[in-house]
Amino acid sequence: MGRIELDGLTRKYGDVVAVDGIDLDIADGEFLVLLGPSGCGKSTLLRLVAGLIPPTGGRVLLDGEDITHAAPARRDLAMVFQSYALYPHLTVARNIGFPLRAARLPRAQVRRRVAEVADLLELGALLDRRPRELSGGQRQRVAVGRAIIRDPRAFLMDEPLSNLDARLRQSTRAQFRTLHERLGTTVLYVTHDQVEALSLATRIAMLDGGRLEQVGTPTEIFDQPASVFVAGFLGSPPMNLLPARLENLDGRVRVRADGIEADLRPGEPDGSVEGVEARDVVFGVRPEHLRLTDGTGRAGTPVLRGVVRAVENLGAEEVAQCAVGGETVQFRGARPLGLAPGQPVQLATAPDHIHLFDRGSGRRLVWRPHPARTAPATPRA
Amino acid sequence: MTGTFVEVAAVPRPRAVVTAQRPALARRAVRALPPYLFLLPAVGALVVWTYRPLGAALNLSFFSWNLLPTTPKEYVGLDNYRRLIDLPELRNALWLTVAMTGALLLFTVVLPTVVALWTSALGGRGRAVYGALIFAPVLVPPVAGAALWQWMLDPRSGAVDRVLGHPINWIHEVRPAQIAIVVITGWHLLGFAVLVVAAGLSGIDDEYRAAALLDRASRWQITRWIVLPLLSPTLVFLALMTILMSGQLTFPLIDTLTQGGPDSQTTNVYYLLWEYGFQNFDTGFASAAGLLFFAAFGLVALALIRLSDRLTFHDS
Ligand SMILES: Nc1ncnc2c1ncn2[C@@H]1O[C@H](COP(=O)(O)OP(=O)(O)OP(=O)(O)O)[C@@H](O)[C@H]1O
Ligand SMILES: [Mg+2]
Repeated sequence: MGRIELDGLTRKYGDVVAVDGIDLDIADGEFLVLLGPSGCGKSTLLRLVAGLIPPTGGRVLLDGEDITHAAPARRDLAMVFQSYALYPHLTVARNIGFPLRAARLPRAQVRRRVAEVADLLELGALLDRRPRELSGGQRQRVAVGRAIIRDPRAFLMDEPLSNLDARLRQSTRAQFRTLHERLGTTVLYVTHDQVEALSLATRIAMLDGGRLEQVGTPTEIFDQPASVFVAGFLGSPPMNLLPARLENLDGRVRVRADGIEADLRPGEPDGSVEGVEARDVVFGVRPEHLRLTDGTGRAGTPVLRGVVRAVENLGAEEVAQCAVGGETVQFRGARPLGLAPGQPVQLATAPDHIHLFDRGSGRRLVWRPHPARTAPATPRA
Repeated sequence: MTGTFVEVAAVPRPRAVVTAQRPALARRAVRALPPYLFLLPAVGALVVWTYRPLGAALNLSFFSWNLLPTTPKEYVGLDNYRRLIDLPELRNALWLTVAMTGALLLFTVVLPTVVALWTSALGGRGRAVYGALIFAPVLVPPVAGAALWQWMLDPRSGAVDRVLGHPINWIHEVRPAQIAIVVITGWHLLGFAVLVVAAGLSGIDDEYRAAALLDRASRWQITRWIVLPLLSPTLVFLALMTILMSGQLTFPLIDTLTQGGPDSQTTNVYYLLWEYGFQNFDTGFASAAGLLFFAAFGLVALALIRLSDRLTFHDS
């Protein structure tokens, strides 16, 4: 069992609030990824759960038991440190076997378990080396080995893949997934890498400045970002976010900005938009949801008009930077896009792919039909 | 349509490799000079104050001379060394030196480690106060300390005997005299050693302790398996200092309290050397003894430095 509940968890360092009132319920067996930029409090949150630092407010519950002030050893959690924290005087084998030795397991059993773990992490050839004789990626794998050799109530992992090369990262990611499926142990996993988060997590908790921005499945977080921050963090390149104005024009909901014109509910004007008031919004569309158009599409199709500034080669795809109004819009598509700098372009998208956020608060705007009338085909914005 | 497959060309490698020319010798010499210039004063002082007297001692060790400028030196070859090795007092003094140094290690390595480990959790003002208390004896000059202790160790009326409630003649009985010398020297050094161990402890990254705590290691396991191994270079350093300095550190006490007695049972090799050189004025003999001790301690120091290098684990 390993259900972790955080209840208003707060940690201050003087005036700096590193973790700010986090409420989070992590179910047993869940793979929860804490995602956020550098310095947003991910490591601090993990250390609070591990019991390495006391919180300045709030509680931590493990399987319903209040462990806020319990010693780290009593919590029965295993952690992979961001700094690896490998014991520098012990060999790889002794580092990995340390938790079992501390638990006074028979020597032969420790040796067998170490060999198993080393096999899994491809560390077999390195067992007699000391940490300083390993590369960053190898050290990280030893740190992972030391954590998974035990059968704890939950794993806490602080960026365990950050130092691996792309190939090794992908294969270790796959190993983590199978490992999690096999063991079914709760994992609280910290990363600032969105690919890792999206591919591993059963749920993602987005952090910004010590606060939770959004908690949801990878699909929810990616498809319905709850704020400008989340929208701008995910995707590569991330979502285009442009200041725009939402208007109610002749019975249509329209978003307008310099170079942008988009009807959110194409088709005949209807009465369902009567209540919509004009307001300042942030208009969002993902680079991969744009396509080239010659401007002859159906009237009211969302269109962005601009000029190509530069084209970047990503291998399989290309990204074009286009100036639209005073802003830059990124457009991603299969290579070759057939665009050259200086060329005027028109980019179309579907109303379904348009995200709207409030300009002031940065929170997502969702369409809510009036209760009296049931309007068909609501755009997802 | 006709054609054939051809390989793409390999990246061409340069045919003639042009190696950049090294700067002229004079230029390189001038560039390499500054570090040696900075070393010069220290090396000069070493030569004048250490190596030249060492050479003079080596020279004197082949002569018989009573330190009087009017008496001629008489060349005796290796006679001084032969006499030294045959000297019965030497064996006794050597054994005493080893025993005293071993006992001193208790005060400079074992006790400081225990104290520093127990107080490492102490923070803030408490730490400063306790640090000052334990460090204070270091500041007492050895001879002043010896005089003070002589007074306190006085049989019957002295503070020590009164506290013990049992008269012991500390200075004129063999065992008590030896214990007194070691304990007083240890009292002098303890504060310094605790400070060194505390510095060594604070140099150990807290992450290791955190990791071991999460690995469910007990306090004792963490101390034994993590802290002590990582502290070992510091402890070897302290042992080295103790072994090399114990002669100098006990000398003022022996000279003030017991003058090597009773029955030469507090005469260590340094005191022996001093007696022959400056009481019997057997200069050549004392020089030979000095050189022999120098070589022996040099070997011990070398072995310990090797050990310390082997024990040092570089943090990533
Ligand atoms: N011991 C400390 N004293 C003061 N401030 C601290 C301390 N530890 C962390 N902080 C501050 O708390 C905030 C969160 O730090 P934390 O290490 O949790 O960030 P992070 O999200 O793990 O970042 P990264 O991705 O770079 O590892 C930062 O602003 C940091 O400067
Ligand atoms: Mg961190």
